[in-house]
Amino acid sequence: MRYLLIAATLLLALAACETESLPPLVAADVIVTEPVPGHRMSAAYLSLSNNSRNAIRINRVSSPNFGAVELHESSVEDGVAKMRPVEELVIAPNSKVALQPGGLHLMLMRPNADIDEVSLNFYQDTTLLLSVDTKITRRSN
Amino acid sequence: MHLKQFLIALLLGSALAAGLFLAMKSGTPAEVRSATVLPGAGELPDFSLIDQHGEDFNANAFRGQWDLVFFGFTHCPDICPTTLQTLAEVRRALVESGDENVPRIVLVSVDPERDTPEILSRYVNYFGAGNIGVTGELEQLRQLTSGLGIYFEKVNIEDANYGVDHSAAVLVIDPDGKFVALFSAPHRVDDYLHDLPIITAKY
Ligand SMILES: [Cu+2]
Repeated sequence: MRYLLIAATLLLALAACETESLPPLVAADVIVTEPVPGHRMSAAYLSLSNNSRNAIRINRVSSPNFGAVELHESSVEDGVAKMRPVEELVIAPNSKVALQPGGLHLMLMRPNADIDEVSLNFYQDTTLLLSVDTKITRRSN
Repeated sequence: MHLKQFLIALLLGSALAAGLFLAMKSGTPAEVRSATVLPGAGELPDFSLIDQHGEDFNANAFRGQWDLVFFGFTHCPDICPTTLQTLAEVRRALVESGDENVPRIVLVSVDPERDTPEILSRYVNYFGAGNIGVTGELEQLRQLTSGLGIYFEKVNIEDANYGVDHSAAVLVIDPDGKFVALFSAPHRVDDYLHDLPIITAKY
């Protein structure tokens, strides 16, 4: 009986490990560009992987380091560059969405003074899905 | 026996022909792979704008050097900085390779309302010394853009903010101030490094 209990505890612990090692929403390749001097905005790029069996919906992103964060999409249609707000980002089960230059991106507005580290919080309505911390990427010219 | 000799002769003959073909091919001028070279160099329309120092900037300002001209605005967080970064990398690579026709980068603002010379100055300098920023009266700007087939239109993105849809092309202006070629988006450093020497060699 004692052995059975130990075995059960171990199994439970293993199961806990498994769910912990694979959270439903994972960010990678996070880049936050530095605001151009004299400008109060920058952009964030990253990839978001949904490891769960359900679609993940992101409809709000916030950052303690910026006054506002918006989800945008840039595109070039018939030779014309455009940028439009995106209401909701839906990531299908077991798939990945890339936010990258010239496409989906986070537009970060009104930065706090002298930002270096940035936190980004991804929500579905009021539920926090993911927090990401990164350093600002300086452009080298 | 006759057949074998015939086959050897055939083989040698085709090798010779292939060699000749390759030799001739390397002698012909290379072709651009991304840029569109205009059949005839286009004159720039008359316009009167100002640069980032507040100095007059008109069609004559394009004379004397090669220019890469991009139309954009500084409150654009994604496409404009990405394009300027690409052009800056192109310039850096050309300077390093000792190219004699390194072009200037000219950003013509399609948002003169917000892009004052001071704002433009800090912006273009951020992407490298020697870059030019152009702004001015909307009517004069329209004079330049409509003459070049460049489109731009203001769009609301949120109440306190707005964006500007704009042509994504980069124009190549020769040292006579003539519009000779253009690069369409997406802009890739390798395409510029391949095509620009071919375009400038034709001058
Ligand atoms: Cu944006």
